[in-house]
Order: sequence, then C-alpha cells, then structure tokens
Amino acid sequence: MSFLQVENIKKSFGKTEVLKNISFSLEKGEVLAIIGSSGSGKTTLLRCLNFLETPQEGRIIVNGNVLFDGNDESKRSESAIRKNRLHFGLVFQNFNLFPQYKVIENLTLAPTLKAKEQIRKNGSYKGLSSMKQANQLITEEAEMLLKKVGLYEKRDFYPCNLSGGQQQRVAIARALALEPDILCFDEPTSALDPELTGEVLNVIRGLKSSDSTMIVVTHEIGFAHDVADKIIFMDDGYIEEEGTPQQVIDNPNSERTKEFLARFNQFGD
Amino acid sequence: MEQFFNVTGELLVGFSQNCEIFALTLLMAIPLGLIISMGSMSKFMPLKAVVKTFVWIIRGTPLMLQLFVVFYIPSLVWGISFNRMTAAIIAFVINYAAYFSEIFRGGIESIPRGQYEAGQVLGMSKSQIFFKVVLMQVVKRITAPMSNEIITLVKDTSLARVIMVPEMLKAAERFTMQGLIWPLFYTGVFFLLFSGILTLLFGFIEKKLDYYKI
Ligand SMILES: Nc1ncnc2c1ncn2[C@@H]1O[C@H](COP(=O)(O)OP(=O)(O)O)[C@@H](O)[C@H]1O
Ligand SMILES: [Mg+2]
Repeated sequence: MSFLQVENIKKSFGKTEVLKNISFSLEKGEVLAIIGSSGSGKTTLLRCLNFLETPQEGRIIVNGNVLFDGNDESKRSESAIRKNRLHFGLVFQNFNLFPQYKVIENLTLAPTLKAKEQIRKNGSYKGLSSMKQANQLITEEAEMLLKKVGLYEKRDFYPCNLSGGQQQRVAIARALALEPDILCFDEPTSALDPELTGEVLNVIRGLKSSDSTMIVVTHEIGFAHDVADKIIFMDDGYIEEEGTPQQVIDNPNSERTKEFLARFNQFGD
Repeated sequence: MEQFFNVTGELLVGFSQNCEIFALTLLMAIPLGLIISMGSMSKFMPLKAVVKTFVWIIRGTPLMLQLFVVFYIPSLVWGISFNRMTAAIIAFVINYAAYFSEIFRGGIESIPRGQYEAGQVLGMSKSQIFFKVVLMQVVKRITAPMSNEIITLVKDTSLARVIMVPEMLKAAERFTMQGLIWPLFYTGVFFLLFSGILTLLFGFIEKKLDYYKI
C-alpha cells in the first residue's frame, strides 16, 4: 500500500460537482505536481485533503490509517478532524500569516498550543513534561526552520514588513513546524511578482532534497517538470492524465493535456 | 467669584451622575454587545431574526423615547418602578449594546476567512483561533468606530434629564430658572474636557496597536 492513498473522492457544492472521482496514490518522499486550468478543482482537492472541505464520498488513507471515509460518520467529528488533519499541512496561495505576530511567533503559536494541550492531557509533549522545556524546544525548532527557508535574520519582524516572497517562505516554515506527513501547496507563487517566485520555488526544491512528501498545485510547468516525481493533469473534476513528467509534459496522450500545455508553450517557456 | 465656585460645585455634583451613567453603561454594554453580536451572526435563523429585529428597534428609535419607555412602562403595566438612575442605566446599556454589537459584528466579519483556515490547518481549535488569532485583529479594527461611539456616549448621558436624573444639564437648567444663563454654556467645558481626555486615550491605544498592519 502506498504512503498516501486517495480513493474515489467526490465533492459537490450544492448541484455543482467539482471533484467527480479522484483517485491517486503517492509514495513517501515523492513530490506530486497537480496542473490544470483554473476551475478544474485543484484547490478543492487540496482543501479536502486538509479537511477544510468534507467530500461526499471517498477515502483518504495515510500510512495505513484511514483518515477519512465517506461512509464512516465518526471520521467527521470535530475532534477526529482536528487530530487527523495534522497529517497534512497546507501552504495557501496568499500566505495567510497572522499579522499581529512576529515571524517567529507565527511558527511557534500552533505548536505551543498543541504542547499545552498534550501536557495537560498526557503529561508530556515529545517526551518533555514542562511547558518551559517544550517552549525551548519549539523555539529551537522554529529557528532551525527559519534558517532552512533563509529568513533567520527576519525572526523578529512582523509579516507586514516582509516582501511577498519572504512571507510565503515564512508560511512554508510555519506549516513545517507541525511536521506534517504531507505538505500541500496551493499555487504558492501565483500571488507573487514574477521576480519573487524564484526564491519560493527554490525553498520547495530544497525540501524535496530533504525527503519531504509534497503535493504542489502549480502553473509553473517548468518547475513541475524539474521537481515532481509524478504529475497529475486535472480537467473538469477528473484526473485527465497522470504519470511521470516525461510522460505527461513531454509526451502527453490526451488531447486536453496537449491543448493545456500548448497554451503555456505559446509564452515561450 | 463665590458664585462661580458655587455653580461649579453644583455642576460637578450633576456631572458625577453623567460619569456614573457613562461608566456603568460602558461596563455592561460591551459584554452585552458581544453577546448580541454573536446572536446576530448565529446560523440558527430564528435567533438571528429575533436579534436583528431587536437591534433594528433599538437603533431605529430615539434614545430619549427608550428612556421614557424603561422609566414609565413597567410602572404602568406591572406597577413596579425603577428608580430614575436605574432606569436610565438600563436604557443606556440596551441602546449602546445594540450599537456596539453592530461594530463588533462588522469587526469580526471583516477578518478574512483565510485567517480562520490558516488556524484550522495548523490544528487549532475554534476557541484557540478566536482568542489567539482573530480577537486582536478585531480589536484593532474596531478601535476607531468604538472611540466614536464612546465619545458620543459622554454627551448622550445628559439625555437622562428627561426622566429627571439630576445630571449636569439638569443642574444648569435650575440656574437658568433663577435667571442665571451662563452655567448652561459652562457645562460645555466639562464635556469638552472629558471627551478630550478620551480622545487622547484612544489615540494612545491606536498608536499602541500600530506595530502591525492588517
Ligand atoms: N465553496 C464553494 N461553493 C461553490 N462552488 C465552489 C466553492 N469552491 C469552489 N467552487 C467551484 O468549484 C470549481 C473548482 O474550483 P477550484 O477547486 O478553486 O478550482 P481550481 O483551484 O482548479 O481553479 C469552480 O467552478 C468553483 O467555482
Ligand atoms: Mg485554485
């Protein structure tokens, strides 16, 4: 069984079917790039994986654990969702950093709250029994992540004083602070000025070499080709084509994939 | 000169009533306003409808009329009567809570959905998201409209005279009846001083919250 198994996900909003039958799998350490035109359901798919939307049908299985099953009501409770969603992380198109917190606090806020709860419930967080020790560990880990995304010197800045590219790198570090099994990116560079996309894409490249499992929705076809182990082309709520970058991008079978890629090549990629 | 001190003393006694109404109204209308704003954002439609109607009635009728209603209606209908000050405070609290609730609702609804979703995907609970992420941003957004309302409240307290609360304007009117006009205008000084202090205070709070932008 694969590390991530997504089986027959269906999602409608009222009468609009947005995800019609999505199944795919991903191995640990692999990078999946999802491409497709706007409105094809890419964001909705990532939101389903992160439990921001609840699919009507289907199953999501990570590492053998069934996190979601459309036929199992108990998987839909608030507390089950809160526990299960931490297998996934999500980096938003427009960052959504917390403006009133410093960069470092953006990273430490959620882990600190988690540590508090765990110490209260089970007496320990990562083997530490006091909040003081936990805070120290959380801060150290956050600082390491800031170094990883190259922003340690912005540790005490507020988000409003960072460029878009820097904000997105902070958002990536913030998601990593919770150590998700699978990190999802929803068009992480499309809210950025063109000259700032490179720094963000480089951070994602860096994560690949440290063996993170990732799902990246992107319009950067060249980047997807370089970084992804696997590409999915989505069209109108279906997976139209999937395979290696060589198969899907260099030698697409489907007419729709060819059409979509032709539109990108026009701009002289 | 002696007359001046005499008048000032009398007016200050009246002004203490204005201050009492002001302080008690603030103290109670803010939490009540928060509760009303929750009701007006409720997904339970009947509750939402009731709360919205309530807010409409309170905001759609003069505060002066509401003072009369609270003071006279209970005694006419049930034979119970509040003392004047209590009636005034009840009317003020209800009136201001309705206005505050709309400010709170506006502030809460202006926080982008992405802030809630970012908290959710980081595994935070609903109350953690509200208290740790949303609340401070709401406070920042509502400081300006709240300071407006609160400064209006300072001046509105003088309306309590319509149900014979011996507040400052009432005291000044007594002098007028004795043929002394200037104390009436002199009351303006007290209101100006009070609202001036509040303006400085709110300016200070806004500066304090200026360290980040939303
Ligand atoms: N909350 C929603 N309510 C209704 N329709 C929605 C909602 N979210 C997305 N949709 C619709 O679902 C379709 C797919 O949207 P989306 O997943 O954002 O596509 P993509 O990310 O590929 O551009 C669109 O037609 C969009 O209008
Ligand atoms: Mg999208």
